[in-house]
Amino acid sequence: MSWAEKLWLRLRPLLRREQAARELDKEVQFHLEQQIAENIAAGMSPSEARYTALRIFGNTSSVKEQTKETWGWIRVEQIFQDLRYALRQLRKTPGFSATALLTLALGIGANAAIFTLVDALMMRHLPVTDPKTLIRIGDTNDCCVNGGVPDNADFSLFSTEVYERLKKSAPEFEQLAAMQAGFAYRPVVARREGTAETARSMMGEFVSGNYFDTFGLRPAAGRLFLESDDAEGAPMVAVLSYDAWRSTYAGDPTVVGSTFWINTKPVTIAGIAPEGFFGDRLSTSPPAFYFPLMTHEAISNVPYVHNNNIGWIYIIGRVKPGTPILPLQDKLSALIRGWAKETKMFDNNTDKSLPEKTHVVLTAGGGGIQDLRDQYESNLRLLMGASGLVLLIACANIANLLLVRGMRRKMEMSVRTALGAAKARIVRQLLTESVLLAGLGGLAGLLVAYLGAQMLLKLAFAGAKTIPVNALPSFAVLGFAFALSLLTGILFGVAPAWIASQANPAEALRSGSRGATSGASLLQRGLVVLQAALSLVLLVGAGLFAQSLMRLQGTDLKLDSKNRYIAHINPQGAGYSTTQVEALYRLIEQRFHQVSGVKNVGISIYTPMEDNNWGNSVQVQGQVFTGKSASVVKANAEYFGSVGTHVVTGRGIGVQDVFTAPAVAVVNQTFVKTFFPNGENPIGRRFGGPGPKSPGDFEIVGVVEDTVYTTVRWKDHSMYFLPITQHAPSDDSPIEKDPSMYAGALVLQTEAPINNIEALTRKTLAEINSNLAVVKFQTFDQQIADRFHDDKMIAQLTALFGGLALLLAAIGLYGVTAYTVARRTSEIGIRMALGARRAGVIGMVMRGAMSQTVIGLAIGIPAALLCVRFVRSQLYEIQGVNVAVMTVAILSLMLASLLAGMIPARSAASTEPAQTLRAE
Amino acid sequence: MQGTLDLLILRTVSLEPQHGWAIAKRIQQVSREVLQVQQGSLYPALHRLEQKRWIKAKWAETDTGREAKFYELTGAGREQLEKETANWSRLSAAINLVLKTE
Repeated sequence: MSWAEKLWLRLRPLLRREQAARELDKEVQFHLEQQIAENIAAGMSPSEARYTALRIFGNTSSVKEQTKETWGWIRVEQIFQDLRYALRQLRKTPGFSATALLTLALGIGANAAIFTLVDALMMRHLPVTDPKTLIRIGDTNDCCVNGGVPDNADFSLFSTEVYERLKKSAPEFEQLAAMQAGFAYRPVVARREGTAETARSMMGEFVSGNYFDTFGLRPAAGRLFLESDDAEGAPMVAVLSYDAWRSTYAGDPTVVGSTFWINTKPVTIAGIAPEGFFGDRLSTSPPAFYFPLMTHEAISNVPYVHNNNIGWIYIIGRVKPGTPILPLQDKLSALIRGWAKETKMFDNNTDKSLPEKTHVVLTAGGGGIQDLRDQYESNLRLLMGASGLVLLIACANIANLLLVRGMRRKMEMSVRTALGAAKARIVRQLLTESVLLAGLGGLAGLLVAYLGAQMLLKLAFAGAKTIPVNALPSFAVLGFAFALSLLTGILFGVAPAWIASQANPAEALRSGSRGATSGASLLQRGLVVLQAALSLVLLVGAGLFAQSLMRLQGTDLKLDSKNRYIAHINPQGAGYSTTQVEALYRLIEQRFHQVSGVKNVGISIYTPMEDNNWGNSVQVQGQVFTGKSASVVKANAEYFGSVGTHVVTGRGIGVQDVFTAPAVAVVNQTFVKTFFPNGENPIGRRFGGPGPKSPGDFEIVGVVEDTVYTTVRWKDHSMYFLPITQHAPSDDSPIEKDPSMYAGALVLQTEAPINNIEALTRKTLAEINSNLAVVKFQTFDQQIADRFHDDKMIAQLTALFGGLALLLAAIGLYGVTAYTVARRTSEIGIRMALGARRAGVIGMVMRGAMSQTVIGLAIGIPAALLCVRFVRSQLYEIQGVNVAVMTVAILSLMLASLLAGMIPARSAASTEPAQTLRAE
Repeated sequence: MQGTLDLLILRTVSLEPQHGWAIAKRIQQVSREVLQVQQGSLYPALHRLEQKRWIKAKWAETDTGREAKFYELTGAGREQLEKETANWSRLSAAINLVLKTE
């Protein structure tokens, strides 16, 4: 038999199914008639003959069904049949279908939305060639320009010389590229030559000459870097990112080869980076320009490029295939150890085990530098946990709904079994229904996921110029959502299917609708209890995060943000040398005081509550060095007034504290507590960096309040403040190379809010120097709010998940209670006929409903107390669950349960006894 | 025993084309009513054998002028019948042997 014949034979019954079915009917009919005829001939009465013929034949529909199953392709056809039937069932019960779909959509959608973020932030590779063979040397986000030994002596930040050395002595790497760690903190001022455009502050990253080669990238236009570009004295070139080329320069092809003034230095654009390449890390401020490492000193006037003690670059390389990683890691660690010893890094340290502990960790480099991931990892984990609980509750809901439906259809199933349907077929039918439901729910969930992910991204990156992540679910997310919904469907389709298949048709048919009056099964009640318990956990979590946020925002920051505006500026980028800045600051003060309504003009390297910190080791003159350090802010005379920091004793920074005046310092109260623990008077004492001469550098002239810098979470933050143009007397490095001379922020305090203050500020600065671009302009309040942004997002999202959980739990309770009431209609009718009052009936139903909530609370309260430990590290000043949070959570759950129980209870109480009894 | 029923059907239709009821009657008669199968269970077996191409069916008139579906053995069916018969003989001989040595 040829394959075509075989196929035809298999297909024929499918194509001619109707006819084949008719023929089978005819065949069976013929058989029965023959038998009846024979029976009559044997002397039976016609009815007796018919009965006997049927009896010895067996169940005709069962026989036909079994026969049809021997026909080819029957399975496929049955699936279609099941699907058609399942769709009809869903249409027939719109209330059930809508509830189930909504529950699934929310449960799956919330998870898929969170997973979209997880996927984008934590799992995706850089858009480069063969990202899997990229290896990063280092595993921390140690940033950005540091000397000394990092935590655990685990090195990730390297000096230029270490990079050169690694490149030479590690032939295991095909390519080894270096990139600036903290480019985001050091934007450049760019202006295209020959155009009328004003100078702009843009992001620029300094990278090694083989950076693009290592990633295997090809230019969109022009060329990318060559090794020769990254050499001392080479003509200065830059690569422009595709996005910046498109958005800022309208894709103008003449940009390639043209000259740009970068920090007032002429730089030629060599080419455009490929489309889609956003740099070596996900960022809300990706680089617009790439410059060779060796131009960093000339462009940014930084002193550290050739300082072997200072790390400022990250390293990513591509290993040769088959290179064993661990031996390589040991080899590189030894190299780093040698370097650390050479630079006498351990000399000032008391921990003698440091040299031995010094090491590097090789990590997968395909995802690039994963600082955004590390920033959000704990938050994402938390949200995944919360959304997972929501999904669990949603699943319990679906299970309950399907169970209720399975019970209701026990009768139908019994009839079908009695009529000869195979049990396997019924189970399959029910499974098809639940899988179809889950599939539809999954589709709806994807919509929720897309909208949810968009909302999450807007929340997570509020105010960011570039959102580095796409809300479109990836294939991984699609697969995840689909697998999740399928699992839900199968898992919770099996239980009711099994129950229905266990039904003894005879018994079910006999007992009819009066059936068991016990109402909901233990399983159903158990699910409702579980839901109540889980939603209590989520509510308590939401309460804790809300409280944590309140504590954070309620902290006294010891500053005044009213009518203050902060403009971040970049005088170095505008071309000023450190010897010129004193005059510049005087000019800025003078010009801004001419703007009407301006009260104080503060100038400093950074401001309170911003993502920045400069720190130094501190030794007080006459004391031994204890390894303690403090943060430093350099500022002008009006700075304290402009941010609202009060002087407690002595004086603040004065106009007289100029470059040539004696070096002075103002310290905060924590500094006094830390370095003068015995209540000595700090005024007149001296301190500086550790060493023989440096502790005499600065004389303390005043003490100020502990204004909060960087983050509220930074407790006991020792700080000192120096006049912005003063320089440590013992520091003999040239003042031209002292980056702390450059102001980073301008703080304007005004009499009243000024609407066009941003435009005024830009204009005033441009009048001083057209290259004095504004890096960022915000009100002080906005800047502070930004620092609470992540905590606010977590509080909002946990509240959202808590609410969702509560809603789902209420739906679950309502479903089970309504079902119980429906089952007990006749019982309630009899009770009322016998004199039970409405209130009594309501009470009875409510007692049933509330008892499940109470058991849920009994499980949920200890569970919540237990779960707090997992999130404690993310809470601010909250050690455990307190009474207020617990009370609110319990009351919310009770209220929701009351509402959910009340609806069916009232309908039970409105039962008309006469009517229900008649209906029997 | 599905295999047994298949063998009986093949043997029955090997003599001449027969319709379902006649096959059922014949199996009962020949086995002297020992094989008490429900008549209905014949049909899944018939259709399965037809799918395997061991028997083929056609609609034809009976002696009494009624339309019925007649099954007859195919070439492949005849081979299968011989194989099955040989198997069965060997098996029953073996069983007989075991029973007699008692």
